[in-house]
Amino acid sequence: MKRTAATKESFFQAFTRGDAGVKLTALFWGAGCLVRRQTGKGLLLLLEQTVLLLCVLLTLPFLRKLPTLGTVQAERIWDPVARRNVWNDYDNSFLILLFGVICLLLIGLYLLKTLQMVKAARQAEQTAAVGGQLPTLRQDAGRLLHQDFHRTLLFLPVAGVTLVMAIPLLVMILIAFTNYDRSHLVPTNLFTWVGLDNFRLLTSLANSSAFAYAFPRVLGWTLLWAVSATLSCYFGGILMAMLVNHRRTVAKPFWRTCFMVAMAVPQFVSLLLVRNLFADVGIINTLCKQWGVTDWLYRIGAIPTAGVIPFLTHPSWARPMILLINFWVGVPYQMLIATGVLINIPRELTEAARIDGANALQVFRRITLPYILHITGPSLISGMVANVNNFNVIWLLSRDVYVTTDQQLAAAGATEVDLLVTWLYRLTQDQSNYKMASVIGLLVFLVCSALTLVTFSRITGRGREEAFQ
Amino acid sequence: MKRFAALLLCLTVLGGCSKDAAENPAAVPLRVWVGDQADIPWMEQVLREFRAAHPDRSYDIRIGVQNEGDAAKVVLTDVEAAADVFTFADDQLNSLLIGGALMPVTEGADAVRSANTPESVEAATGPDGQLYAYPATADNGYFLFYNSALISPADATTLEGLLDRAAQNGKKVAFPMTNAWYLYSFFRGAGLQMQLREDGVTNRCTWNATDAPIPGVKVLEALLKLAAHPGFVDADSDAFVAGLKDGSIIAGVSGTWNAAVAAQAWGDDYAAAKLPTYQAADQAVQMASFSGFKLVGVNAYSEHVGDAMDLAAFMTAHDAQVDRFRLRRQGPSNIAALSDPQIQAEPAIAAIIAQAPYADVQRVGPKYWDAAAALGKIIVSGNPDNQDLQTLLDNCVAGITAPADQ
Repeated sequence: MKRTAATKESFFQAFTRGDAGVKLTALFWGAGCLVRRQTGKGLLLLLEQTVLLLCVLLTLPFLRKLPTLGTVQAERIWDPVARRNVWNDYDNSFLILLFGVICLLLIGLYLLKTLQMVKAARQAEQTAAVGGQLPTLRQDAGRLLHQDFHRTLLFLPVAGVTLVMAIPLLVMILIAFTNYDRSHLVPTNLFTWVGLDNFRLLTSLANSSAFAYAFPRVLGWTLLWAVSATLSCYFGGILMAMLVNHRRTVAKPFWRTCFMVAMAVPQFVSLLLVRNLFADVGIINTLCKQWGVTDWLYRIGAIPTAGVIPFLTHPSWARPMILLINFWVGVPYQMLIATGVLINIPRELTEAARIDGANALQVFRRITLPYILHITGPSLISGMVANVNNFNVIWLLSRDVYVTTDQQLAAAGATEVDLLVTWLYRLTQDQSNYKMASVIGLLVFLVCSALTLVTFSRITGRGREEAFQ
Repeated sequence: MKRFAALLLCLTVLGGCSKDAAENPAAVPLRVWVGDQADIPWMEQVLREFRAAHPDRSYDIRIGVQNEGDAAKVVLTDVEAAADVFTFADDQLNSLLIGGALMPVTEGADAVRSANTPESVEAATGPDGQLYAYPATADNGYFLFYNSALISPADATTLEGLLDRAAQNGKKVAFPMTNAWYLYSFFRGAGLQMQLREDGVTNRCTWNATDAPIPGVKVLEALLKLAAHPGFVDADSDAFVAGLKDGSIIAGVSGTWNAAVAAQAWGDDYAAAKLPTYQAADQAVQMASFSGFKLVGVNAYSEHVGDAMDLAAFMTAHDAQVDRFRLRRQGPSNIAALSDPQIQAEPAIAAIIAQAPYADVQRVGPKYWDAAAALGKIIVSGNPDNQDLQTLLDNCVAGITAPADQ
């Protein structure tokens, strides 16, 4: 299509300067096209508009109830003759929230489309005014396979992301501002907006909310965990890779395979197995007792109760143990990545360093480590974020095993080894406390994005992109 | 790819639905959830009899498995999509009522009330006095197991006796102290209360009472002493089973779910009894307990409530309960079934009947569990920070009685 005489105009300009066809387009999308004898396209646009409007109309009743999230409580009348329940036309707060949000999005989409339509109609008017050729429907369709192929390709992903990611996410975020919990479960009960009350529960020190006590503690451990778990696995992996790849190491493929096998076993299996090994009545405890390790630890005061090493049941033992077990689970993966990077370090660099008289440690510090850091920096960040949300390790190792002795933590349903994400899971699954879970979910998101931004800017910042090129 | 799979799934589901409806348009579709895979043969037998008893109606009944322990959680996640008839543990009655998931027994409630033990009927009754479920079993509580080769029945009547005998033999008596469900036993036995309030979610608790005949501190002192006894071990169900198998545990508190293991480990020496007494404030206190019942509920949102009630009543009637005992060793709540000598000869069931006078129906709000478990853990750890006992109890009670959703 020739874009003759098409100066950039805003919607307002396009609307006021345009002819009747353009003005009518604001009401009926196809009007502009129909005026300019693009009948097929005009009808298609009208059809699109009708479908969109129908969707809006269908969801409009929900939007109308969105401010209150419903007022009609479910009521049941037993019909003894037909032997069934007759229900009133009750409101379902959750559906109102969901379809209300969808309706808002549809309205937004409709308005956006209208702006585009008016502008396009004005453009067509200008093109026609200078005697330009307007595209036929076939040409427009053809564009979708050529100039506008990116739209064709992106249509499904965008639609999918909106449907399965954006809308649910938006609804989940909104739940943080409602009182959706055990006492307000749909469809029998209604829930409603409560503003920032839930956030006050987490942060306010004035009230004696258990959440306000638990939140900073759980957050602190989450951050400590994320940093130590990521760094320990990372450097452990590099170290292992260097050991395996050392020139004096024999049977390298064998060692590599060993670690591969450890990685190939699903975490669920290995973690549950390890949990049983380290249980208070597990085999490690039995062995330690037989060998006198338990008694010795008790004598030096490392364990609080005689006879049992509380590997996974006492805070001062469970936290390091969980870090250690995570190290064991996570190192093989990091080792494989580091191996790939190590193989690709240019030999000249290390050889030159050796010739200059650098020892192994200096080579590692000045060449190997910066090189690896540069290449795997982004994966270090994603590892950190993944560890903030590392549900598996914590949950599988502490579920049904770890009981806190901190009475205030217990009152909030948390333990010393809980991450924000496992705490959130407990709240939703065990207590149906969706509102607080949503609040914590929001905060987890904030923590993750802050971590990503800070570390990413530090690693790739200051022109280091070019460092090894 | 995911979307494509989802689309495919939707289509299959839709296809599946339309096909079912076409198959037999007159059949009443019902879904029933039993608690365990092993219950399915029993349920199938019940269904055969149910169909035979209703020759004039045609049913399309599907059996699903949903553990009774978290049935409420699953049902309440989407009541409208949950099964028409489901089995659940009686402690979830209140959550289900608040979620509006249970259909009151509107037909034949008096027959259900008179056929089952009063305790089981109480467990199935809501705060408004209506019957909301059909009692199915009455064996979900806990009691004492012991090895009669090492412990005499007389020793088994006091916790001190049990612990001393265990210590003399270098063995252990297991009690799941860090499990709030069992910890209740000591405090309730001493006359202290922990109950659900009328709102159905928050608790009332007097464990920190100072003016009671046996004050809370005295109970806590006794518990700390018990937990420090060389014959005592805090053991969850897994540890109990492990101890039974390797012979290190010679007595313990648990429920019917471990009866088979105990019977196998101890053979003819397997014995069961009501819970023992323990010494607090210089008197012998009979340990109380939570009774436990499995109940069958009808989903109030079911399209076929009438047929669902027929099925629920049938699968909890006398014959079905006797079959349940024969096939699954689960103790009946039906009075007539309980009088069966074969059922009474079962040690676990006899122990439950003996414990019944000291057992309470479990009505507990959600804030109880973690707060009480923390106290249990402190007891087992021997009060490591040497905190004031009254403070410990006050904190625990504050946690137990906290508003449910904060």
